[in-house]
Amino acid sequence: MPDTAAAVQAKKNALELRKLYFFYGKFQGLKDVNLDIEERKVTAFIGPSGCGKSTLLRTLNRMYSLYPGQRAEGQINFYGQNILDPKQDINLLRARIGMVFQKPTPFPMSIYDNIAFGVKLYENLSKGEMDDRVEWALSKAALWNEVKDKLSQSGLSLSGGQQQRLCIARSVAVKPSVLLLDEPTSALDPISTGKVEELVHELKQDYTIAIVTHNMQQAARCSDYTAYMYLGELIEFGETDQIFLKPKRQETEDYITGRFG
Amino acid sequence: MSDKHLSSQFDSELTSVSTRVMEMGGLVESQIRTAVYALAQFSAEAATEVTDMEARVNVMEVEIDKELSSIIARRQPTARDLRLLIAISKTTANLERAGDEAEKIARMVRSIIDSGAARALPSSELRIAADLASGLLRKALDAFARLDVNVAVSILKEDDAIDKEFDGFVRKLITYMMEDPRTISSSLDLLFVAKAIERIGDHAKNIAEFIIYVVKGADVRHTSMETIESMVR
Repeated sequence: MPDTAAAVQAKKNALELRKLYFFYGKFQGLKDVNLDIEERKVTAFIGPSGCGKSTLLRTLNRMYSLYPGQRAEGQINFYGQNILDPKQDINLLRARIGMVFQKPTPFPMSIYDNIAFGVKLYENLSKGEMDDRVEWALSKAALWNEVKDKLSQSGLSLSGGQQQRLCIARSVAVKPSVLLLDEPTSALDPISTGKVEELVHELKQDYTIAIVTHNMQQAARCSDYTAYMYLGELIEFGETDQIFLKPKRQETEDYITGRFG
Repeated sequence: MSDKHLSSQFDSELTSVSTRVMEMGGLVESQIRTAVYALAQFSAEAATEVTDMEARVNVMEVEIDKELSSIIARRQPTARDLRLLIAISKTTANLERAGDEAEKIARMVRSIIDSGAARALPSSELRIAADLASGLLRKALDAFARLDVNVAVSILKEDDAIDKEFDGFVRKLITYMMEDPRTISSSLDLLFVAKAIERIGDHAKNIAEFIIYVVKGADVRHTSMETIESMVR
């Protein structure tokens, strides 16, 4: 079967986590996590509050290093390079691995500048090139048509759902290769949620996406792979269909069927 | 495993729909038993009773489907719960068809009675196959209620016995028809009865396959016995 062989070969991991441990001071937030995040796929992390899924996401672009006393051990290989290496340039890393948070966090500036701000940090673009980049990013985030006539208005004037898509556009604008989404729709209504999920589906053609969600059905709807975490450990990882139809571990089954208690 | 959901309402919905399936199964079983009795005794009265039960079975199937849709819409079930609901949906469809087969038997019995050829035919030999088939369906329902995979596997094997009975009976009918061509018309009715019995066995087998699906998560339809046994072990 040459097709299958080709497909297997084409499989490429953007991120490979090996023996990853994480500590908040003395508290162990992650225990021996080993996981591959495949390129141009959506990997969802599910699990009860405090299970370590957001912690895991925050290690992937070293967001935690903003806080003293927090440290990660092990390896996170990003296309072969260990990003936990102290020599890793963190700003460059965050340009390549973007993050979108639970609550929309537009900067208190115009819609245009919200997008342009990050780009200016890494690239020297002419006015025309920047205009193109802003339009491109807003189109990628399925927001262009709604804001193209009011680019100079404050980002804060948008609705919650639009603000979140603005934040996604802002992340996309610096052309990262991985997007980390931490509960991106938990503050949004179902329509905006649907738009963001649709966006996730569009974006995975160009980006590798890792999404943390409390909404199990969201993980089921929009991910290719699902990881179930509990008490800082990766309990089960597999294709989303397999996890939701026939999980291998009893703990996973209990959680996704709502028997967890 | 912990058998209870966080939502006790969800638990009671699942219990309720499972109970309804068992009720429906009970009704179909008695439909088949009555049809077998009608056949053995050539009782037109019993045959009519089978037909009357048909309407109730149909209503139950529609009601169970409605409950299933409601649970799926409200609960978005996953994993074992999802497999159980799919299996219930398929099981009720199979039960309804098994009921149809019983009705078919009743219809043929009436036709044979009307032809007046009843006593000349080897109908009593069908009793064995009919008892096998209705016993198999009962066993399938019991296994479904307890989600017993081992019993389910034994049902798959027993269905082969019914299929063999069917083949033997057909050969016997051919002999009758050759000996006395006047029995051809009634023999054909009896052939349809035998076929209906064989189909009831198939429906029991299908239900057994869904039990394995619920418990093991493996679809064992169109799978060899060896493969199934290795999956279940």
